[in-house]
Amino acid sequence: MNLRGLLIRQWMRRPGRALAAALSVAVAVGAAVATWAAADASRVGYKRLTEAVAGVPTIDVTARDGKRFDASAVPRVVDVPGVRAVVPLFYRPSLLRVGESRLREVAVGVDVAALVSAGLLTLESGEPCREDDEVVLDATLAKGLGLAVGDEVLFFARRRVARMRVTGLAATDSLRWFAEGATVVADIQVLESMSLSTAEVDRVRVVLAADVDREGVLAAVAQRLPEALVAEVPAGRASLADDVLHSANLGLDFVTALTLAMAWFIVGNAMLMNVAERRRGLTLIRVLGGTGRQVRRLVTVEAAILGALGAAVGAVAGLAAAAPISAGIARALQTRAGDVVVHPLLVPVAVALGVVIAVAAAWWPARQATSVDLLEGLSVLPAKPPRESMRVLLVAALLLSLVAFGCELAMAFGFLPPRASVVSGVVLLLAFVAFTPFFLIPLVRILGRLVPSRWRIEGRLAVEQIVRQPIRTALTAGVLVVAVSNGIGLGHAIRDSVDDVLGWYGKMLRADWVLTQAGALSVSRQDRGAASREMEAEARGLDGVADVEGIGVATGRISGQVCVVIARDLPSALPLPLVPVDATEADVRQALERGEAVAGTVLAQRTGLKVGDDVIVEVFGRKTPVRVAALVVDYTSGGASLVLRRDAARRLFGMEAADVLLVTAVEGRSPALREPLEAIARKHSMFLRSFGELRGFIDRIVSGVVGSLWSILGLGFVVGSLGVANTVTMSVLEQQRSLGLLRAVGMRRGQVVGMVVLQSVLLGAAAGIVGLVAGVTTALFIQFASQPLLGHPLALHIRPGVVVANLLAALAVTALAAWLPARRAVKLELLEALSTE
Amino acid sequence: MHAPPPILRTERLEKTFSGGDAESAVAAVGGVDFQVGRGEFVAVTGASGSGKSTLLHMLGGITRPTAGRVLLEGVDLATLDDDALAAIRRRRIGFVFQRYNLLPELSLLENVSLPLALDGATPARCEAAARAALEAVGMAHRGSHRPDELSGGEQQRGAIARALVTDPAVVLADEPTGALDSANSARVVELLQRLVAERQQTVILVTHDPAVAAAAGRIVRMQDGLIHTDSAGTPRP
Repeated sequence: MNLRGLLIRQWMRRPGRALAAALSVAVAVGAAVATWAAADASRVGYKRLTEAVAGVPTIDVTARDGKRFDASAVPRVVDVPGVRAVVPLFYRPSLLRVGESRLREVAVGVDVAALVSAGLLTLESGEPCREDDEVVLDATLAKGLGLAVGDEVLFFARRRVARMRVTGLAATDSLRWFAEGATVVADIQVLESMSLSTAEVDRVRVVLAADVDREGVLAAVAQRLPEALVAEVPAGRASLADDVLHSANLGLDFVTALTLAMAWFIVGNAMLMNVAERRRGLTLIRVLGGTGRQVRRLVTVEAAILGALGAAVGAVAGLAAAAPISAGIARALQTRAGDVVVHPLLVPVAVALGVVIAVAAAWWPARQATSVDLLEGLSVLPAKPPRESMRVLLVAALLLSLVAFGCELAMAFGFLPPRASVVSGVVLLLAFVAFTPFFLIPLVRILGRLVPSRWRIEGRLAVEQIVRQPIRTALTAGVLVVAVSNGIGLGHAIRDSVDDVLGWYGKMLRADWVLTQAGALSVSRQDRGAASREMEAEARGLDGVADVEGIGVATGRISGQVCVVIARDLPSALPLPLVPVDATEADVRQALERGEAVAGTVLAQRTGLKVGDDVIVEVFGRKTPVRVAALVVDYTSGGASLVLRRDAARRLFGMEAADVLLVTAVEGRSPALREPLEAIARKHSMFLRSFGELRGFIDRIVSGVVGSLWSILGLGFVVGSLGVANTVTMSVLEQQRSLGLLRAVGMRRGQVVGMVVLQSVLLGAAAGIVGLVAGVTTALFIQFASQPLLGHPLALHIRPGVVVANLLAALAVTALAAWLPARRAVKLELLEALSTE
Repeated sequence: MHAPPPILRTERLEKTFSGGDAESAVAAVGGVDFQVGRGEFVAVTGASGSGKSTLLHMLGGITRPTAGRVLLEGVDLATLDDDALAAIRRRRIGFVFQRYNLLPELSLLENVSLPLALDGATPARCEAAARAALEAVGMAHRGSHRPDELSGGEQQRGAIARALVTDPAVVLADEPTGALDSANSARVVELLQRLVAERQQTVILVTHDPAVAAAAGRIVRMQDGLIHTDSAGTPRP
């Protein structure tokens, strides 16, 4: 019989203990695989969502003066790393005649065949148009008109009228990233030849590879452009989605990191308990002549074997759990549920980590077990925590706190990217766990006094049992602290971020109908001022319209930074659609009436501008000084926006046209406006959407993202619960002898079960309180970290529902986790329980 | 008749348990000079707290002295590192405890062979030696049983077999009859006597039971951490 044999015998004698240790690794590895796969599914879902909103990632090259330009003026940029394709775009309002129907549609000229072959345009049927008399139609439009491939339509353009054959029907989704409302797709040269323009384009859209750093490519492309051209991230298209997704990704990273930290913490705890419980046996081996090395080897070999077994089971369970979780996330994001894509390295890395962490987690208690005094180790009394350990723990807690706060400060000053907050958040949580033994005991004693007098004896014994083992207690509580903190911290952070975005959106777009510019969106073209005024007048003249606000959008530059200049009518009858930071609405309105501007907080952060600064703003090639009167919360184009009144923008930059019209109806008249507004939209090549549709669109993004985060948070809670159940079970197993003694001195079985449950609930309550503090701190950390992304601080609102739900869940999990093993423990024969080693 | 050559010797052996400050420090053993020859059966007696168990633990290298030396077969235990001390405990010292301290997950045979297994002996040698040791204590027929299937007396005899399995220089027994009834106590004492008589095994036994002590060839009585009387006439400090 060698040490391996001894190990096997130990497992056979106490299979529950070995199983619990292996289960902890299975939970950790399963959590790692499932969380990672779910996070990946969320990221894929976010990407699909962004694509659905904004199409493929792009940047635009436009003329600085906002007019059309010669496509040949754009230098070669297709070789810039990250650039997938370069697509010149030419938009033309036109008229289609199909049978007796006449439709105003926007045509877009592109190299259709090239887009199809590059996979950037999908044809549901037919083939690309190649000849002068061929077009491709939006499949949705074609179906509505009853058109099929091979049918003919009459196409009215400025220069001529042509009978054109429909060669293909394009999938509406695949048009979205470049067509911007256009439903007729023709070859760019054909469309130009039918118009008055020759070789002039509205913009050149640069298509980027997936997952590329858009800002980096933007800078590289901008560097190559001549002075008359400018590169920009398409404004107003996907900025809101981008912002929500930026925050969501940060949240996703947090949830993943904290769930993984919790999972590995569970392993550490289980291994520590597994070794601590056998202190006497291990000491006896040393007394009989076993060396410290032999004992450490015994423990680490055991950890490796249990780790490998647990990791294998966990990997299978994680993969099995990943599929339904990913499908749930896809449902939440309303994207199609693809196959679960598991990174090929994920499973081997998770399994290897399972083994390594199990061994590492066992090594420390093994070292403790071999350094403990032999006489102390042989004692049946539980070992007192060495003072040195407590000192080390305190120093570690202080150091971890310093590192976490140092990281946050470094982020605040821009030395570290916002994503570093994920690391600092995890480090802070570890600091909380390290501090736990110091808070926990006094907390448990206080809570113990609240136990009703009829459970006085059980309560007192429960408190003493907890107090007797501060480190083990702290480790068990540590899992709960992480779980509760995860739930409370992220629950608050997610809700606050969403409320922030929705609050802004509610203020920004307060109207019944929204008309947006098709085609040349984001450039308030100088040459369309007259048409725009006509359109606004038509809208105002409609019966049932209470108010119309025009919004012009143009690309501008401040201190070399691209920004979006927004010109709004800001009618005094409507509330100010901006959220001022450290300023009153009245002050902001007055400043805007004086012709001053307000800057988005992100723009202020990026350019370093402050309230009261006079900045040079370049729009349409015109450089004009503008005073910044206040900062406002704004998510337009990532918050890098400068907002002025429209009359001031017209005077300062010549911004004439409205790219967006917000139409407010007289009460009860909104539905009746659809038809006349649709007519105006067709005439002026605008999109019409009701506020409800727009709100639904935003809600879809937000609820999808939030839903996916909750799914992963739920997974984290399940992991935490399993971990708590596991450690509490091990803790009860370890107390079997003590429980037997209590029964021997006359305690009833029910009393013993009650004591164990009470012990667990007291621990859960104390850990819940520490977790609440940690959770609120985590929420503050996340919000602090979001500041560089959002450009403004998020207010933390304590939500009693989230707090109570988490605390109740912690109590329920601990009570249930203790009740089952306690019932089993008291069913043992008294002698058997007393003889438990 | 010559006194047997000393197999174990102590010089000014002291042990003080520190309570964190000088005032709460307790001197358990206060300077003991003592030697034991091969084949001697020594009973160390004394009241509770007299230092007899602490002395035994220092003799066995379980705890290190605060001052003084323990020389086992001429080797100063204080000069050994933990691994070397473990090797001495494994090969040259046999321990018998009041609560038997058998590993519950192992059979009696496996428990007995454990010191040899720790020493890297082959399974065949482990088994053969363990069987022989069990034979010597009259427990060969119970080798396949687990400790919880044995009576207290049987467990203690098994523990004695484990102490003998490596053919140690000295067997140290700490209250080996403390948890046994009188019949089993008598059987254990008789067994130890037989080992000394038949195998020239050196045995040092700590007991507070005068009847057990009387079975030993030499009685050392301790008081307040010092040897008060020694029936062999070893001079008191």
